Amino acid sequence: MIRHLLAALILLGSLAAAPAADEGALKPFERGSWQQLLRAHAGHPTLVHFWGVTCGPCKVELPQLGQFMKDHPQIDVVTISADLVPNLPDATRSMLDRAGLASAENWIFGDGFAERLRYEIDPAWQGDIPRTMLVARDGTITTIEGSAEIADLSKWSDAQAATIR
Amino acid sequence: MGHRNPLVRTALAAIMLVVLPSLTAAQMSHQHASEAACEETDLHCATKVTPAFAPDGTLWLAWMAGGHISVASSKDQGATLSTPVQVTRERLNLDWGPDARPKLAIDAKGDIALAFSIFRDRAFNGQVLTTRSSDGGRSFDPPKPITASNESQRFETIGFDPSGAVFAAWLDKRNRVPAQQRGEKYDGAALFVATSKDGGRSYSDAKLVADNTCECCRLALAFDGAGRPVVVFRNIFEGGVRDHAIVTFSDLATPGEVHRVSRDDWQIAACPHHGPSLSISPAGTYHVTWYTNGKARKGLFYAQSRDGGKTFSDPLPIGQANRSPSRPQIAAGPQGLVMVWKEFDGQKTTVNLMMSRDDGATWSKPAPIADTADSSDHPLLVSDRRHTYLSWMTKADGYHFQAIGSEP
Repeated sequence: MIRHLLAALILLGSLAAAPAADEGALKPFERGSWQQLLRAHAGHPTLVHFWGVTCGPCKVELPQLGQFMKDHPQIDVVTISADLVPNLPDATRSMLDRAGLASAENWIFGDGFAERLRYEIDPAWQGDIPRTMLVARDGTITTIEGSAEIADLSKWSDAQAATIR
Repeated sequence: MGHRNPLVRTALAAIMLVVLPSLTAAQMSHQHASEAACEETDLHCATKVTPAFAPDGTLWLAWMAGGHISVASSKDQGATLSTPVQVTRERLNLDWGPDARPKLAIDAKGDIALAFSIFRDRAFNGQVLTTRSSDGGRSFDPPKPITASNESQRFETIGFDPSGAVFAAWLDKRNRVPAQQRGEKYDGAALFVATSKDGGRSYSDAKLVADNTCECCRLALAFDGAGRPVVVFRNIFEGGVRDHAIVTFSDLATPGEVHRVSRDDWQIAACPHHGPSLSISPAGTYHVTWYTNGKARKGLFYAQSRDGGKTFSDPLPIGQANRSPSRPQIAAGPQGLVMVWKEFDGQKTTVNLMMSRDDGATWSKPAPIADTADSSDHPLLVSDRRHTYLSWMTKADGYHFQAIGSEP
């Protein structure tokens, strides 16, 4: 009996661990996630891209960002699907896969109160997407509204590389 | 559970500890992760509610809940509602974009024209569907596409003109394909219109008004004193500048010149999801409110035109800039001009009100009239012969419908 229970516990443990190991799993972006994200990447130049599956300009930019990630392995690339919820994890994942962003750190808004999530990120942000936030090694944040020019991202990335002593 | 062995009990408790918190978290996040309070088709589960008064003073509501569009009416200014009637036959992938909502208009006979958008495919191409009721809202025809085109359409708006014809406007991407085939870049969408002379049973061929409009913001529609439609829309001006434009029609099918409402200089390749509002007062003044994040100005603004939309007054900023003001609505009602918008302080959303009794020359001090601590629809305004009312759907506190007093 005890052995069975222990086996059950081990099984539960492995089940619980399974989603984390699944590449491409979307992390639910909830209250507090923004600060958690900043803490996790502190000291690393990080590109955070906000987008959504129904946003026309986002569809054009996403594959360019996939290429950017490939070309700049020293930059942490994070995407956050900021569409209203209930949103569509399957469509989100499939667009990220096609854009070459499956291995990025991918989040999806997981709280129905999108205004509050946006407020935690930037109180002035009214929800327009795409939007890119470049978080420098020293924590300085540069916000790019709308589609980013990949040349600008590369310039920022090069400047970040130059700050390594 | 009857297990005497303490180790078994401990193990069971451990399982409970492992399983229960994750279950609770999943259940909470399920509730949390929706803008809707519930998944059924009832009004209190709705994410978007649109009000409209019929000429006979009946209030009609159309709402989006549980994948369906439903309507109900009220003879007592929203105090009690009739049994809801489901407009949609099957659960649909309704357009849930921030600026999408069902639209309805009621004519003098009590016939109802209704329009809404769905996502038609997995690429989120939209389709505008229309239906009508010719039995006073007891039943609706099966919804059908407003146009034969299969290119994406969204953000429809409809209204009855004084002769009883339905005027419909929407954003349509059909002109992208031929432009791309010619090797040309095509930004945004296009403003198209159609009319129905049979109360919304059938619509005329779609007619192009303007190419290269913003593709993701709602349109604002009003009729001037002569019954001519006026549409305000977020345009894409030279250099990708998404500022607002206005067009007055000389008749239902003939658009006039497109004028610019304001030079905000918002150059952005993005979906602002934040469209304008328009109302025309009995004096014939056009009153427009909008959101911008341009180089020239940022935030919510109001301007008026006394020459039929050719020129506008200097934009007046609305709301507290540090409270993220959003979703401005304006209505010229029986007691003057009423303006509402949302503000957010990080926890609570407030609907704020300003009024003007001199056709927009001066405004009362902003005052909060409603609030909620969870997600909410845009605050909307609707007028009958006596009052202007706030219509506001909230997740936590349900649906509000309240008369706006003569003094805020």
